[in-house]
Formats: sequence, C-alpha cells, structure tokens
Amino acid sequence: MTGRFRAVCRLDLAHNFGRPLFWIWILILGFIVWGLSGGNVRIASGDSSVGGTKSFLTSEFANAQLMSMVVLLFYGFFIAVSAGMAIIRDEELKVSQVLHATSLTPRQYVWGKYAACLASFLVILALHVAGAMFFNHLLSDADSAEFIGPFAAAAYLKPALFFGLPTILFVAGTTFLIGEWTRKPILVFVVPVLLFIVCAFFLWNWSPSWLDPRINRILMLVDPSGFRWLDETWMKVDMGVDFYNSQPIGLDAGFVVSRLLFSAIGLGSVFLTARHFARSVRRSSARGPRLARVVGRKAKPRTDPPCVPLASLGMRTRRPGFLRGLVEVARVELRELRSQPGLYIFVPIIVIQVTGNSMLAVGAFDTPLLNTPGTMAVRSLGVITTLTCLLMMFYVVESLRREASTQLASIYYATPVRTAAIIFGKALANSLVAIVMLAAALAAMAVVLAIQGRVRFDVMPFLLVWGLLLLPTLFLWSAFVSAVYAFTRSRYTAYGVALAALVYTVYKLIVGEITWVGNWPLYNTVQWSDMGVFELNRTALIYSRVLAVGAAIFFVAVAVRVFPRRSFDPTHVLLRLQPRTLLRHGAHLLPIAAVPLAMAFLLHAGVDAGFQGEQYERRAKDYWRKNFATWKEVPQPDLARVDIELELEPELRWMKVDGAFELQNLHDDALDAFALTSGLHWRDLSWTVNGEAAEPEDREGLFVFRPDAPLAAGGTIEVGFQFEASFPDGMTKKGGGAGQFIVPSGVVLTSFQPVFAPVIGFLEGRGVDEDNGYDAKEYSDDFYVGVTRSVFGTSQPYDVRMRITAPRAYTMNSVGTLVEESEEGDKKTVVWETEHPVRFFNVVGGKWDVRRGEGTAIYYHPEHVHNIDEMIGALDAARVHYSDWFYPYPWNELKLSEFPSLAGYAQGFPTDITFSESIGFLTKSDSRSNAAFLVTAHEAAHQWWGNLLHPGDGPGGNVLSEGMAHFSTTLLFEEVKGIRARIAFCKQIEDRYNDSRHVDSERALVKLDGTRAGDNTVLYDKGGWVFWMHLNAMGRENALSGLRAFIGHFAEDRDHAVLQDYVAHMRPFAPDEEAYDAFVEQWLFDVILPEYRILSVATEPSEGGWLVRARIENAGTGRMPVQVAATSGERFVDEEDPVVHAAEDAAAEGAYQEARVELVLGAGESGEVVIPCGFRPERLVIDPDALVLQRGRSRAEKEL
Amino acid sequence: MLSIRDLVKIYPGPVTALQGIDLDVSNGMFGLLGPNGAGKSTLMKVIAGLLEPTSGAVTLDGEDILAEPERVWERLGYLPQDFGFYPHLSGRAMLKHLLRLKGVRAPGGLRRLSATLLERVNLAEASRRKVKEYSGGMRQRLGIAQAIAGDPRILIVDEPTAGLDPEERLRFYHILAELAEDRIVLLSTHIVEDVAVLCPAFAVIKDGRLVARTTPAKARAAIAGAVFEGTVDESELDRVHAEHTVIQSLLFEGQHRVRIYQPAGADHAGFEPTDATLEDAYLVMMKTNADLPGAAPHAVAAGGSA
Repeated sequence: MTGRFRAVCRLDLAHNFGRPLFWIWILILGFIVWGLSGGNVRIASGDSSVGGTKSFLTSEFANAQLMSMVVLLFYGFFIAVSAGMAIIRDEELKVSQVLHATSLTPRQYVWGKYAACLASFLVILALHVAGAMFFNHLLSDADSAEFIGPFAAAAYLKPALFFGLPTILFVAGTTFLIGEWTRKPILVFVVPVLLFIVCAFFLWNWSPSWLDPRINRILMLVDPSGFRWLDETWMKVDMGVDFYNSQPIGLDAGFVVSRLLFSAIGLGSVFLTARHFARSVRRSSARGPRLARVVGRKAKPRTDPPCVPLASLGMRTRRPGFLRGLVEVARVELRELRSQPGLYIFVPIIVIQVTGNSMLAVGAFDTPLLNTPGTMAVRSLGVITTLTCLLMMFYVVESLRREASTQLASIYYATPVRTAAIIFGKALANSLVAIVMLAAALAAMAVVLAIQGRVRFDVMPFLLVWGLLLLPTLFLWSAFVSAVYAFTRSRYTAYGVALAALVYTVYKLIVGEITWVGNWPLYNTVQWSDMGVFELNRTALIYSRVLAVGAAIFFVAVAVRVFPRRSFDPTHVLLRLQPRTLLRHGAHLLPIAAVPLAMAFLLHAGVDAGFQGEQYERRAKDYWRKNFATWKEVPQPDLARVDIELELEPELRWMKVDGAFELQNLHDDALDAFALTSGLHWRDLSWTVNGEAAEPEDREGLFVFRPDAPLAAGGTIEVGFQFEASFPDGMTKKGGGAGQFIVPSGVVLTSFQPVFAPVIGFLEGRGVDEDNGYDAKEYSDDFYVGVTRSVFGTSQPYDVRMRITAPRAYTMNSVGTLVEESEEGDKKTVVWETEHPVRFFNVVGGKWDVRRGEGTAIYYHPEHVHNIDEMIGALDAARVHYSDWFYPYPWNELKLSEFPSLAGYAQGFPTDITFSESIGFLTKSDSRSNAAFLVTAHEAAHQWWGNLLHPGDGPGGNVLSEGMAHFSTTLLFEEVKGIRARIAFCKQIEDRYNDSRHVDSERALVKLDGTRAGDNTVLYDKGGWVFWMHLNAMGRENALSGLRAFIGHFAEDRDHAVLQDYVAHMRPFAPDEEAYDAFVEQWLFDVILPEYRILSVATEPSEGGWLVRARIENAGTGRMPVQVAATSGERFVDEEDPVVHAAEDAAAEGAYQEARVELVLGAGESGEVVIPCGFRPERLVIDPDALVLQRGRSRAEKEL
Repeated sequence: MLSIRDLVKIYPGPVTALQGIDLDVSNGMFGLLGPNGAGKSTLMKVIAGLLEPTSGAVTLDGEDILAEPERVWERLGYLPQDFGFYPHLSGRAMLKHLLRLKGVRAPGGLRRLSATLLERVNLAEASRRKVKEYSGGMRQRLGIAQAIAGDPRILIVDEPTAGLDPEERLRFYHILAELAEDRIVLLSTHIVEDVAVLCPAFAVIKDGRLVARTTPAKARAAIAGAVFEGTVDESELDRVHAEHTVIQSLLFEGQHRVRIYQPAGADHAGFEPTDATLEDAYLVMMKTNADLPGAAPHAVAAGGSA
C-alpha cells in the first residue's frame, strides 16, 4: 500500500511543481514578502512618526497577523485550484478508469493525491517563511531598519504552525472533497470565494461595541484564518509596542481547539473524499449493467429505419456569419451554465455580501448612513467588482476549455464557425452570468431600500454605476482572462496570471501608486452625489471606460488570433516569435490598440496637468523650496477687513474674483515687507496696493509686497487682487481629494486655502511630501504664556463683505447676514456682510430648498428631506441652549447648507455651517441613534467653540474646539433628548475611544497636536468626555459660569486660548480647588483610564429589604469617584421614543427601582460596597449614569 | 482533389509522426490503413485543419488548406477518433447545435433534418436523452450523424466503426458508400475488413511513411498463389517461423493454424495453397517491410477502379 500511495503522491508532486501555476504563485508570494519587508504593514501600536520604539514587523504578532491573512486570502485560491482540481483533472484526462483497473485502492489514490497537494503547499509555506526571514533580516534597507527586531525563528515558525498550517489543511481538504464530490471545477472555487467574503468583509472587521462577548468569542473561533481571534484577543486591547515586539502570542485553549478542529475538518474531508470516491468507483463498475438496462430497455427488436437518401435531404452548407455563430455559441453556453450549480451558489453569496456591505456603512462619528440608490450602487462597486472578477475568471477559463474538457474540441473546432464568434459568444454568456448576479443584487438593494422605507428606489443610479462603469470593467477582465488563456493554453497558468494581475492592482492601490490610467477596476475612484452625477470626474470616467472597452477589444483580438483552435507546430512558434513576425502581427493589432493607447495618453496627460498632477506638484515644490527657509517664520500683518466680489459659473467650474484685504500690522515693530500666497490655479492675476496697481515679487506663488514706507505698528494697508480660475483645475489623480470645488451641483470655497482669496504669509504644507516632510513643531511647556496666536485664520476678528454673482438657479450663502439681493437677466447677485466680526469665511452655493427655524435655516437638496426636522430641531435647540450656557449668539442667523459628497466633511464657519450630503442629510437617524441630531449639535457648537472662542496655536488648542463640541453635544442630548439618549451618546464615544486609542503613543490632552495615530479619538471623544466629567466634578452651574467667563474673555482677545488657559480660567469657579487640581492633573495633564471590575457580589435579605455586598476593583488607572447602583427592573422602556422614558418616568411607573452608593478607587485599589435596598435587587451596575470614562464598561455590570 | 505534398510533422521529443507524405485523393472512398501509431490520426488532423504540420502542403481543389484552414472547415465532415459531447445536452440538441455551427441548412429546417439524421444512425428513440447517458456506441453514432451532415466536399472518418456492433457497422457502411459517390471520403482505420468492403483504393502508412497505395484487388493479386495455410504443433512453431514468413498464427483447438507468405519457388511442404485476402496483403507489407508488386505509393490514382 505504501508503495502505491507513494507512487501517486510522487507523480502528483512532480506534476504540481512542473505547473506554471505554482511558479507564478511562488513569484507572487516572493513579491508580497519582499513588499511587506519594507514596513508597509505593521501593528498599529505606538507611532512611527515620532521617536520611541517602533512596532517590529518581525515580531510573532506581526508575523501571525500577516500569515493569517495571506494564507487565507492568497493561498486559498491556489489551494482550491490545486487540491480541488486534482481528481477532476484525472477524470478529464480519462486516466481514472485505467488507474482503478490496477490494484491501486481508492484510499491510496485519494490520500496520495491529497498528500501531494499538501506537500506542495507546505513547501511553498516553508519558502514563504524562509523568504520572510531572508527579506526582513538580511535584505532590509535603512528605511525599514527601525521596524526590524532581533531574529527569532519561533516568531516565524509559530505563526506558520498555528495560523498557516490549519488553514491550508482546511482549505485543501474541503476543496478536495467538493472537487471529488461534484466533479465540477466551478464549485471548487466556492470555498475560497466564500472564505474571502466571510473573512475579509465580515469576520475580520465586524465588531460593533454592542456585540455580546460570547458571540464575539464564537466568531473568533469560527474564523478559519485565526485573524479575528488574534485581533480581538490581543491587538484590539492595545498592549503597547514593547509587548508586541517581545512577547510570544499567548494561545488559549479555545483557540488551540479551534485550530485543531479546522485541521481535523480538512483531514476529515479527505477521509470523506476517500469513502465517497470508493463508492463512486464501485458504482461506475456497477454502471455497466445499469447502462445495459437503459440501453436494453430501448433495444427493442430493431427495424431498419427508413433509409432516406442523404442526397434527398437537400442539405447545403454555408459558413455561419459572425452574429449567427455568436448567438448559437452563447445560447448553448448559457444552457450549460444554467445547468451548473455554481450560479446558484455564487450569486446568493455575492448578493448577501454586497447588500450587507451597503447596509453597514457608517459616516461621521460612526453614525449609520442612510442608503440611497446612488450611494448603494457606488458603495458596493468595489466589492462587486472584485467578487465578480473572481467569478468571471473561473467562468471564462472553464467556459473556454469546455470543449477540451468534454473532448468535443476536434469536432467543434473543425466547424466553420468563426473563432471570434466562439469567444464573443462565450463571453456574452458569461456576461449574462454577471448580469444575472447584478440583477439579483439590484433586487436585493430594492428590498433593502423598501425595508429602510425612507428613500424611493430608482434604477438609474444602478444603471449608471453598474452599467456604464462596471460592465466595461467586466468586459475588459473577461477579455484579458480569455487572451491569457488563449495565449498560454493552460487553465492553471491563466488563473495564476489573472490572479497576479488582480493582486498587483490591489497592491498598487494600497501603496497609493495608481492613477486613472492603471485603475481599470475603478477602485476607490467613483464618488456619488445625489445632487449631481459624476461632475468632478466625468471626463476621466469617460476616458477610463473607453480605455477599458478599447483594451477589452484589443484583448479579444489577441484571443481570437491565438485561440488554440488549431495546434501550432513548435517550429512555427519559434518563427512567430521572430522580431519581424512579431512586428507584423503588432502592426495588425496596432489599429485596435490605438483607441486604448490614445485614452491612456489622454488620461495620463489629464492627470499630469490636473490639480493633483505632477505639474502642480512641481510648482508647489518650487514654492516650498524657494520660500520655506526665508518666509516661514517672517511676521505678517493680520486681516482687518475683507471685501470680495465673486462671479461664479458652476456649469463651467469657473470663477472670477475681484477682492481686497485690509491688512493691519498687529506687531510691535513696523513691517518692511509682507507676503500673500496665491492659488496655483489662478490665471490673469493682478494686484493693487491702496488702489494703485502693484507688482509684488513673485516667488513661485508667494507674492512679496514691499510698501514704500514700512507698515507701522497698528497701521493698515489695502491689497487688492483680481484673477480668474477654473476650480478644481483639470482632472483628479485618482478620483477624490477635492475638498473644495465649483461644480454644477454646488460650490464650496473656504478661506483656509488660497482658493478664492489669498492666504497671508507662507502656506505651510504646500509642496511638502515624504521627501521633504519635517517633524511637527516642538512647543515649550510655557508656550501659552503671553499672546498665543490663533490656530486658524488671523489673530483678530474682522468684518467680511461678500458680493456673489451666480446663475439665478443658485442660492449663494456666505458668512454674516444677507443685506442685498438683486437679479439681472439670468444672474442673481447677493451681498453678505458680517454684523459681528469673524475669523474665517466661506462661500457655499447650490440649488436648494430651505427650511427656516427660529433664527436658523437649513439649505438642502430638495430630495434630501429625510432628517430636516431633526436637524432644524437640533439647530434651534443649539442656538438657544448654547447661547444660554456658553455665550449669547452674536450673529443674526445660523445657517446650515448642504454640498455634494465630493468631500465628506462638515465645517462650522461663522453663521454658515456646511455639511456634506453624507453627513446629517443622509444619516440613518432614528429615535434610538439620534444620529442627525448628533452631527448637527456638534457642528453648531463650533459657533461657540471654534468661532467665538478661537483656539490658540499649540498642543491641546484644538481640544477646545472639537472636544468642547462633543461636550456641548452631550449637554444638548440630555437637555433635548433626555438622560437615556445622553448616556447612549456617552457610551458611543467611550466605545470609539476604547476601540481607536493607541495606548503607547497616547499623550495627555495638553500635549495633543494631531500628529499621532489615535490622536483623533482623543481629541473628539476623550476631549468631550473630560469636559463632561469636569462639569460634573465642578457642579453644573459652577462649570457653566466658568465657561461663560472663559469664552467671554477670549472672544474679543488677541490672545487665543489653549487648555492651560481653560484650566486657569475655570479654577476660580471650582468649589473645591484641591479636587479641581486633582481632576485636571489626571485628565488633562496625564493619561489615565479607570477600569472597574466586580470581584465578588452577594445579596442577602435584611430588615425591611435586601443588602448587596460587592467587592469592586479599579484595574485601570486614575482615581475617580464612581457610583455603584443595585437596580431592579428596566430603567428605560424599550420603545421608540426614549425621551419620554427617562428614569423618573419609569420609576414613577414603579417599573424600575435603584439604590446607589459612591466609591472612590485609585489605580489597582479595591473596595467593598454595601448597598441597602428596599427592593429585591436584580443587577449591580457601576457608573449607571455614564459619568466616568472607563475601559470595559460591559464588565462593570452583573446580574444578581 | 485532395493533394498532399511532402507532409512532415514532428512532435516535441522529437517524435516524427509524418515523414514526407505525398498523396492525391479524388472523389470516392479512400482508405488509410496502418498500425497503431503509424501517423494516420495525425494526417487526418492535419487535413482537417486542426494541426499545423512542420512542413509540406495540403490543397483541396487547389486551395491551400494549411494557410487557411477555415476554407476546409466550410466543406468538411469530420469524425475524429476520440471525441465527446456536452454531457448536459440531449442528442438532438447537441446535433442541432453542431449543425448550426457548421452552417447546415435544409429545406425542412434543422429540426426536421436533425430528426432524419438521427433516424439514419438509429438514434431517433434516444434523441431526447442527455448525451451523458449514451453508451459508447450511441455516442459514436451521434458523431457519425454530425459528420455526415451538410454537403461536405470531404468527409474524414477516423476509426469510425470502433464501438459499433455489426449491425450498426453495416448501416454505417451504407451511409459512407452513399456519400462517397460525389465527394472525397477519407477512411482511416486499422480494420482491414472496412477497407476491403468499402474502399476502391487505399494507402498504407507505417512509421509515418506511405508504404503502399493500391486497390484491394491489386493488393490481393500481388500475393495470389503465395499464401498457404496449414496446421502445426506447438513444437514445430519455432521452426515454421524460422523457415517461412508467417503472416498469421492462431491457436485453435490445441493446434496452431498458420498462414504463411511464400513467394513462388520456395518450399512449402505441409501447407496448402489458399485464397489471398486483403488482410494477408496488409500483413505481408507489415511483416516484410517490402512493397507489394504494383503497390508502390504512386502506382495507382486513388479512387480508380479496383
């Protein structure tokens, strides 16, 4: 037995290593390992941009992360081809019957083949591990040296053993079983595709904070790659760089059992395969009599059929035309496809994935997004493209070799049907598979929209995105795969080359080196706006799709030329490879290649000349080179007044500007010169100084003015500027990145960048990339002493007058109050003036409807009515309550305007808030999530925290803007929506903080400068929480009084506040200065995070009720008073409107009872609480009102 | 007229499958005999335009079918040695599909034509069954049906009677004979009887070379009087092999019935003269590596009368 088993194994092993597929895979793997050794993928702990230890890409954790993903995502497809096709291949070659006529047993045969597959992949795994060691430790360059730790073989071998090997055993076994069981190549690919979908789009990233830990644990253990277990157990709870760099992965019993089980499933599948195969062999040997029965049943006494002379049939033959042949090939191909179960398995899988992906999308602050047909079509485009391409790859290759597989080829190819008809016919049939899939996905999307019930289904966006954009991709992909198969004449090589092309495209995308020219699948390029279709990238999309179709035709032409209908003679192949012959063939193909080449050239030229292209980059770099050293720190005057006349033609993406800045020298010394930075897109720029034409020195876009007399301290000077511009100018580089724009559906222009007005002084950031990036500015500990400059804009508020002329259909908003409105012809002119000074300004325009509130207004796209009630309610409430709590709102009106989601941000300019349509307007908001309320309340708060109180330039300054906005939102939630909604919001941002913080690199709020990974959640979420806790620590009225005084002081001051100013100004309002100092020391000047655990709890009856005794520990850091409650009943009734179901209401109904005590625990301390209850307690809850930011809140609660 | 000139085909290895074949075939049935691996199927594939030769020329009615194989596909009926069909289609659907691909038309339409053709190959009753349920013989008959469809100028049939029972084989003979009246029918086989029954002319290929081209009558005549038959014991067999050219030896009821080829003048004691068959002639050519008198490769224009 051993000898025969070995013979089968050896033969298959030799076959495997003789296949191009394996060598292609080894090449791809080598490329991946080499690419990863550059340090592109590391554990997200610590921070690579600052000093300190970096996370090693050679650690056991890093290797395990990569191994788990690479083996499942990339090995999976190759294993499926190799293992799944092993028995099918023998059947196609008709060697099975001969083999089974020998003394070889089915078990020897099956296990021998499986062992060969396994051995092949173990060799590849070994090469993979060895390659990683080699590239990481021997070939690492200086750039990646800091990510390379000391060599430890176990750091590579253990991940391979625990993460790689079980997955290989599992995938190889299951695909082997499916291949043998069904004998259908297509079905073999179900396993890797399914694993790809389930893991990449679900198991590896779906982990909402509300997920039951038990379910999470199950999901960890059912992940065949082991990645989720690693991520959830070790990586999500950031243990610090040193830990990951030096410690081995601690395996728990559940994980080990899970890995053993996956291995066992793989091997068990082979066992089942052997059993099933043995039965099928017996069946086939028993098939003789069965067939004889079938034949015998029909074998009635023969009567000679009427012998109609063939000549009398009048048969004639005429070569079928292209169309006739195509239709016939497609028709029969479709019948074949229809009879295969692959269609019925793949389509539901992909549909579920695509719809699920759309339904789980989140926007700003992780708020769920409302689905519209357009957003669904675009959001699903990447996933549907990838999955359909994978599916099409299998279908195209198997379809092209169907005749060879069924041995019909010699008859089929000897018919006069045209080769082009064969290839197009098959492509057409396969396209119909894709179309069926898209139709199914479309139907599913319609159902999702119907269930959502907020937005009407419209097929047009799907036709545009899936029809005009996706179908050319699929056409190109099918043609490419066809050409590769026709050229290589090997299904395995075709799979290898096609997968390599896909992997390469994704790699280029990940490293950011892909532009419109190479982005054939349109990954991450398509932006959808309900307000206007493809306005920013329309030209690029058209070129790209023509390029795709043209390239597809080219590949089809290649496929038709080299399709293996006739076996070439090897000597002629050599002749064909002669340069002259190749040139002749190339010349024939040149006309077909002309269109895609022309489109590629146009795209390249468009990208190059566009606002993100090399020409702009060169100019930006020149600007930086010429001015960085000389003008970065030069004192500049500040704005005192702005007066701009702006003419807009959104349809042409054009503007004309005639404006003037009044500049004032706020420094103590006179200024000999000052500078303004212009936009790189400006044309016909001219300047005036005090009304006279001026010619400042042009330093590559930095215009230096040297007045006749130095600008004295306190003195003013008026600088005028006139120019025209197209904006954005030309094509994007890869689809996105236009934060401001003039497009037909809307206009967004701000004063942050020199877009429609110059910026004073040197513009930091222009011309800076990885080559010339520099470290963030270091601030001294007392940087805030004295006058601190503003973080944005200028140091003093100023007045703005904005006169805007635009086509009549547009409403144009700006800062201040509308003072004038007139119409002339098809143009409308509006004049906005600030009635109270501002520190920055903007212009936003669109074709809107308007909803007015109490001194508020929302300008919105007429179809985006879904959340307007909630948003105007939030805006009204914000204006009233923030005025009451913080500072009276000094402007007449508070506007909020919608712009197309070509950019996805919201900004709170004075009186003129702008929201991308994906924020608020298309937020999936209900009475439980209050998502639209949240984003509106947050942005409205910036009128106070950002505009009235303009943060200072320095660490922690921005916390006064974003953290305060979240804090204001917390207060507004409680005020308007009730305590339940406030608690939900607090928990939501607490979860975000816990999930996103980077423990190692996290700095105290006063040191926060936004340069480190994880700073964002500290800025917003922790910032909001700290101000909320501070309010509770000081007492609400004390804190609000302090805040009013704080804003009042800085609203009109040249000094700008940072957190140290906040601490100083709030202290006089604190009832207990010692407690105040302790609080700010912990939460603002240090990084702490309590984590409460219930060590033990017991209940006992007592006189007149019950006693709850519990021992509680603070396993985290910091010392905070925290409430502990014993409760009975549900505090909040689970109904639609939580507002009316506050605690008091429920308590009044007698449904909920509670008793509380307060406990103060320092880091590592534990203490006992005794809670007397007049009721039978059911639950012990620490911090029931969400008053202390903490880690692991779900563990701070226990059923009694 | 099918004309083959100096046709060479070398497979990687190298294995020379055809070593300079020259052959002219005009209307009528033409047999191609040869042992397994002689190069018959390779030659058929080249003529059918499915295999590019290493060198040489093949023309059909003056048209170069190596340069433009599509030209022969328009006028070809082809039944290869090994073939299969789409397993999920019924026999009728499969045939109709192939008829459409071949561009076949008939006054009554393809539905009727395919039914008639299936009747001709005795598959009418099984026409609705899926091909995967067909027996080997039924598949072969379906192959025959598609090959004879249309109005092919040339019909190439490679080992067509393999898998057919005697009755079906006869039926197929009829069809071929009917078709051969006004077109070229190239029958490749190693079953000599097929050629004897059907072909007025044939050629013999051995090791990629054309070793004979003749008619069955001439081939028989060439060895007439030189074939003897006798019965020998086991113990005498070696001696007989040593002294004579044994063309056949069959063990029958414990004794060897032996046919020998003994040109005139040689001693043939113990053997009786017997009628020479075409099979004898073929085996003589295989055993002696010698051309039969009058059977040199260019001696007879194929299709000529026997």
